[in-house]
Amino acid sequence: MTDDFLAQLLPGFVDESAEIVERLTQHLIELEKAHDKTRFDDLARGLHTLKGSSATLGLEELSDLAHKMEDVVLPLRGRDIALPGAVADAVLATLDVWLANLRATNNKTELPALAPSVQLLESLRALVGAPPPKKNGSHMGAAQTPAQAAPAPAPAPAAHPVAKEAPPPPVAATPAAPAPEAEEAEPAQAEEAGSWRVRTRDVVALLHEVERLREVRLRVDERRRELDRTLAALTRLGMLAQTAEVRGQLAGVQRALASDGEEAADIVASMEEGLKAITTLPMRTILEPLRRTVRDVCKTTGKLARLSVVGGEVSLDRRILESLRGPLVHLVRNAVDHGIESPEVREGRGKHREGALVIRVEQQGNMLFIEVSDDGGGLDNARIKQVAIERNIVPTAEAEAMLPAQLHQLIFRNGFSTRGTVTEVSGRGVGMDVVRNEVQALQGHVEVQSTPGQGSRFLLSLPADLGSSPVLVVRCGEHQLGLPMSAIETSLLARFDEVKTSRERIQLVHREELLPLADLGALVGLRQAEQPQEGQPLLVLQSQGKRVALAVDEVIGDLELAIRPLPPEVRELPAYQGAATLARGELLLIVRPDWIAGLERKASAIASSRRALVVDDSLTARALHRTALEAGGYVVHTASNGRQALEQLRHASYDVLVVDIGMEEMDGFELTRAIRKKPEIAQVPVVLVSAHDSAADRQRGSEAGADAFLSKKECVSGRLVAEVSAVVARKQGAA
Amino acid sequence: MKITARTRETSSEQARVLLERRAERLREKPRDGADEEAVLWAAEFPVGEDSYALPLDALRAAVPLRMVTSVPLSPPHVIGILRFQGQILTAMSLSSLLGGRGWREDPAVLLVVDPGLGGRLVALDCERIPKPVSIPLALVEQARSRSSEAVIEVTLPGLKQLNLIDLKRLLDRRVQETRG
Repeated sequence: MTDDFLAQLLPGFVDESAEIVERLTQHLIELEKAHDKTRFDDLARGLHTLKGSSATLGLEELSDLAHKMEDVVLPLRGRDIALPGAVADAVLATLDVWLANLRATNNKTELPALAPSVQLLESLRALVGAPPPKKNGSHMGAAQTPAQAAPAPAPAPAAHPVAKEAPPPPVAATPAAPAPEAEEAEPAQAEEAGSWRVRTRDVVALLHEVERLREVRLRVDERRRELDRTLAALTRLGMLAQTAEVRGQLAGVQRALASDGEEAADIVASMEEGLKAITTLPMRTILEPLRRTVRDVCKTTGKLARLSVVGGEVSLDRRILESLRGPLVHLVRNAVDHGIESPEVREGRGKHREGALVIRVEQQGNMLFIEVSDDGGGLDNARIKQVAIERNIVPTAEAEAMLPAQLHQLIFRNGFSTRGTVTEVSGRGVGMDVVRNEVQALQGHVEVQSTPGQGSRFLLSLPADLGSSPVLVVRCGEHQLGLPMSAIETSLLARFDEVKTSRERIQLVHREELLPLADLGALVGLRQAEQPQEGQPLLVLQSQGKRVALAVDEVIGDLELAIRPLPPEVRELPAYQGAATLARGELLLIVRPDWIAGLERKASAIASSRRALVVDDSLTARALHRTALEAGGYVVHTASNGRQALEQLRHASYDVLVVDIGMEEMDGFELTRAIRKKPEIAQVPVVLVSAHDSAADRQRGSEAGADAFLSKKECVSGRLVAEVSAVVARKQGAA
Repeated sequence: MKITARTRETSSEQARVLLERRAERLREKPRDGADEEAVLWAAEFPVGEDSYALPLDALRAAVPLRMVTSVPLSPPHVIGILRFQGQILTAMSLSSLLGGRGWREDPAVLLVVDPGLGGRLVALDCERIPKPVSIPLALVEQARSRSSEAVIEVTLPGLKQLNLIDLKRLLDRRVQETRG
């Protein structure tokens, strides 16, 4: 194989191999604990793929090394025993060297020596009952030097070089299964042949273009609707015969536009899906390899620890993932080395011999939170203080006066380590410094909390522009809102016998526990809080250790959505994580579960205010009325049509209604008449507003039962409030 | 794969005439020159009974007021959020920002504007699509010397009053009020 051709294929092979090595690492760690035939088979296949693929590229030394790994693994096939620790250690170490050598070959840097790995594997042959190695030149000898390990400029091998090799020797007592056929390596190679390397900025530019395409699609829809209106207008004109040809042509254009719109929508959805796959990866791709890190540090330090990962499914921009890899390795190594105590000490302290290490990932809008916590001994404040003084990091007096939180910040200083000596694992004082610098480079920050004897918790917060997470879409009134699926424990339908109402609060009996029950629509200020109806959908949320039940009007479904930050004018609203774009281009607000969970204390703070319901189908008119009325001390709820207003009036009481006359579905006159016909709400004052001020409208309003009439141009600052207050006062006086 | 109905594309005589007229107008537009009066090009639109204007170079687009997602709990001057060319923008009520003006008709247009906040755009509602006007720069300077408010009153020839909006100042003022 020519050097040029090899150079073209190598980058892809490096990526593919890294994935395989990562998978094999997981298998080795698990097989070390217990036998698992499926894992073992995949381990064997993976090693075989590494061997076959490297041979295909002419990387004979790497192919031979993979073969030697097979030699110590395959004899154990069929034995119902855990993989011996020595074998797992050797293969894990060899895989590291193998991959490092491949990367160095690709980067044209100094190649790590393969000979020590070969020697290590050879030393294990007897342990696993493998026959001595072949003496022919196809396998690399133990005495090979790094220089010899360079890629062989050999001619391209046959299409399936490994197929010529003999199957692995049988293991004593159990017959070995035949080596996987060479064809098994082909799918991976075929996939590799189809992979490209693209620049990140090109992908980001493409993302923006897709956004634009989505908007074009929406415009096509709008054109179609305009055509609908034109056709309707032509029909209304009554000149059906004269306009028949034109209407026929327009109808054809309309159908074509509808079809184009649908096709464009399909293209946009497909492109977005594809781009999401390109730009993001789940967090677990960098978290799972940390199990190996934990295992290795445990072996080195004689400790026991188990790593648990929560939120590994959160997908993130690959660039962020790559930057986080290093800091997470440091945090995990530190947690085991410094935090988790030895099994004996833990037992003495009444803890489980095996330490618990948890990585929890949560994406809230455009913020990513990664928590790395352990149940070890916690940070040693006295030792930190002592080191800080000894190394003149802070003056003695200052150190003595430092609070624990301030002392904890010292561990992020360059060169700070509480280790007296440098060990294989720590002591150089660069780990936490790296963590802080990397996170700050991502515009994030690190917090640390530690409790002596109970453990430490590092919280990394950083912005995450790209990426997606599962969101549950719900409806409250006319509003759709999203809730992160990660916070949803369960959904159920309300039953009267499970809802407990007292004067102060509403609670839900759920699994023998009383949970606070809130109405999402009321929480976000859309309506007054009310007791859920029988059969109304309820969600049980958990956040920050609290569980809350939430009533919504409808559960629409779950979607995988990219959550974007809100613009600055509304970013500081604590209720929202961000917004996501739905299929038709509309935005969906994503509510923060922690905000909901913390709302118990905030409820009913405004219960004593006067309440106004603004009914107008114009968003901007609702905003203007709200501006005026809130400035006048009213709590304002809004409805976009008469039907919705009647629904809100059915569940809540208002001091006054401000109603637009010109609404499409049910105009203001009709709504006023409907209100006056219902005895339970007939007394509520109604102020009609209209864009057009006419005597006829005023007369009709009065006849319908309205208490006042204002034109929208009269709704200047103060005038609306004055009129509304006067009407309320008159009604109250009359009552 | 969908089969897309094809329609015959016809050249629009009306569109051609319109484009020619626009080109003609552009050719007639006064060129910059020392001997000509310096003017500020602005986008004029009504808010209630009054005329307001924004510098034309701040105007990025005029789009129909739809697909706006209202944001419960937001400040009252915020109508909602919308997508525009891949960005999420805040749509605000200009009338509310101006302190609660009355209005003649419900706004149906959003003006996408660059208020000079580092390239970030915002959308403002508007009762009608604005029309371009030129304001003698001298009159603008005169009005600015009289007031440092976010909205300055410019008296045009013929005594017509035009309220020229300094968007950045208007939004800054709103931010301060919200925080205060």
